[in-house]
Amino acid sequence: MRRGRVTSRLLPHGVLIVFSATILLPLLWLLRVALTDKLTAYKIPPEWVAPKLTNFVEIFTGYPFFNYFLNSLTVAVGATLFALPLATAMAYAFTRYNTGGLPLRLFVLSSQMLPPVILVLPLFTLFLTAAMLNTLPGLIIAHMTISLPFLAWLLVAFFEGEVALLEQAARVDGATRLQAFLRITLPVTAPGILAAGLLAFILSWNEFLFALILSGPQTNTLPVGLSSFQTHRGVDIALLSAATVCAILPVFLLLPFMRRYLIKGLSLGALK
Amino acid sequence: MKRILAVLAVLAFSIGTAKAETIRILMETVPDTRYIQDLLPEFEQKTGIQVDIEAISYIDMHSKLVPQLIAPQGSYDLIVVDFYWVGEFTKAGWLMPLDDLVARDGIDTGAYVPKLMDLVGRVEGTLYMLPFYNYSMAVIYRKDLLEDPAEQAAFKEKYGMDLKVPETWDEYWKQVQFFTRDTDGDGKRDLFGTVIQGQRGDCISMQWSNYLYSQGGRFHDENWNPMLNSEAAIKAMEYYREAVENYSPPGSESFCFDEASNVMAQGKAYSFVTFNILYAGFDDPSASSVVGKVGITPNPGGGLNGGWGWAIPNSSAQKEAAWTFIKWVESAEIAKKRALLGGAPTQTAIFTDPDVVAARPYYPILGKILAGTQDFPVFTYTTEFVEEVGRELNLAATGEKPIPEAMKAAQEEFRKLLVKDGKLAN
Repeated sequence: MRRGRVTSRLLPHGVLIVFSATILLPLLWLLRVALTDKLTAYKIPPEWVAPKLTNFVEIFTGYPFFNYFLNSLTVAVGATLFALPLATAMAYAFTRYNTGGLPLRLFVLSSQMLPPVILVLPLFTLFLTAAMLNTLPGLIIAHMTISLPFLAWLLVAFFEGEVALLEQAARVDGATRLQAFLRITLPVTAPGILAAGLLAFILSWNEFLFALILSGPQTNTLPVGLSSFQTHRGVDIALLSAATVCAILPVFLLLPFMRRYLIKGLSLGALK
Repeated sequence: MKRILAVLAVLAFSIGTAKAETIRILMETVPDTRYIQDLLPEFEQKTGIQVDIEAISYIDMHSKLVPQLIAPQGSYDLIVVDFYWVGEFTKAGWLMPLDDLVARDGIDTGAYVPKLMDLVGRVEGTLYMLPFYNYSMAVIYRKDLLEDPAEQAAFKEKYGMDLKVPETWDEYWKQVQFFTRDTDGDGKRDLFGTVIQGQRGDCISMQWSNYLYSQGGRFHDENWNPMLNSEAAIKAMEYYREAVENYSPPGSESFCFDEASNVMAQGKAYSFVTFNILYAGFDDPSASSVVGKVGITPNPGGGLNGGWGWAIPNSSAQKEAAWTFIKWVESAEIAKKRALLGGAPTQTAIFTDPDVVAARPYYPILGKILAGTQDFPVFTYTTEFVEEVGRELNLAATGEKPIPEAMKAAQEEFRKLLVKDGKLAN
């Protein structure tokens, strides 16, 4: 009996440990490479030396890495802040008014069905005419073409279902549509909206192709900067790792919030 | 906070100076780009022209460049063109011919190594580029092993010839076989005679070319008739396959030059047929355990030629300023300074310049390597050629396809592309 309980506890833990290790070990290895040099990084069997921070110093002094960081932050925050209210409004219109019906919904999603490279060339031409190449606002707009449809579709799911009933109840009690939206729908779906916002941030933070084609030396973002460590003369693996560690950090810090809201957002429902 | 202030200051400064003439250059993240960036203040002071160099990785350059070149007015005033793209860019009419400017300012294109002028300079009689950088291929080998008296005696006993810097393919191949061994007696090979970079596409196409030339083979004859299923090509592939199987680390059929050079840098290989520009990296103590122990020598039968050229895109708005920059960066003085920093020269005199040789004694060998190189097929579809033929070469190298069959397929793919380009009738 007891034995059975121990194994029934050990088994899930064992599975979870293996599972977590597959995700965590590469990250730990990355950190390890970031703290050593190229020679040590590739040694087999691995050799353990005192960690040093020279790579981190090098990426901030020898490369415009801080600039990349700032650009990425501006673009990701900007794209999220603009996309979120628009996507919320769009999703609300889809669910409550069935605006455009299914065709419009699919049309919104269709831009996500194409490989991004098909979108980037027309955007390039448009931006060229509008003198928006190599500018951060241009990049924010470009990233919104990715996040907006995605968020709208995500949020549709949050506005459907039980929230609608709550909203109706509020309307019966005399609230206007706007009041019902602001006082009932928004607070109830807030975790979902925030989760969507975090996803939008990450989408923009990691985006590479648009950033590569549409940005210039002053507006390059982190992913473009990271790829420049892969050179014709070999990969600067130690510098690349240090840069990657810095690049993951903001998303890593967002993770706890993400988890909280995502779980809340997924188990949404006030009428249970 | 201080950093933010510093960035703001830099931003304010760049806005303040944006009024001065600024040329924008797209380059690759290689040390030579850094050397030029280091020398830039000299140019800016001399001419008042600001230079904005954007350095990105090689694999992203093509996708970044093409939209800019198609646009009526692109962002780049000056670009560097890899020999891969020469056919495509010139045929599309994206590059500005430089003949008039060269004649007007009396620039001597004879200063360049002729092999490079043919590769990344003149195309069918028109000058589109000035050679900027060369990455011709050669054999990098372990000098310390070669000079070890015990090894020399053992080699002599086994093969009846001296162990010295290889001059013929036969000699080199015997050394490859000789040095492939198990050094710690655990039954597994841990020193390899050579390192293969056999990944599909670019990696294998580049390295295998050297094997082809070593057997006296060529990609095509003077009339562009493909010669990939010639006896020499098949022989070259047999050597390559043999290396993958016996003399190169396991998995090397999917290596590219970075993985392969790490094997060499970790001291686990005797030799490596690769780009000459990687050589300096083996003397960098932070990346190599064989510092001071490597030498470089021409590939027997000639290595593969490779290079970059400066070009002014037709979509540039400031062609004259871009030309001023080319004149400066390619002047004898700056070319020499760049070589002294460790750059890859393109002008004949630099390789044997006394100051350069004093600082970097192996530069005359680099000159010799370059002079003996052979060209890769440069035509409109070089990029496609590398993909198609690289696939067949890899299939043969891994043994997934019999060698004659793969070479026949490579020949056919090459022929189709040449027909498409109008180099062949059918």
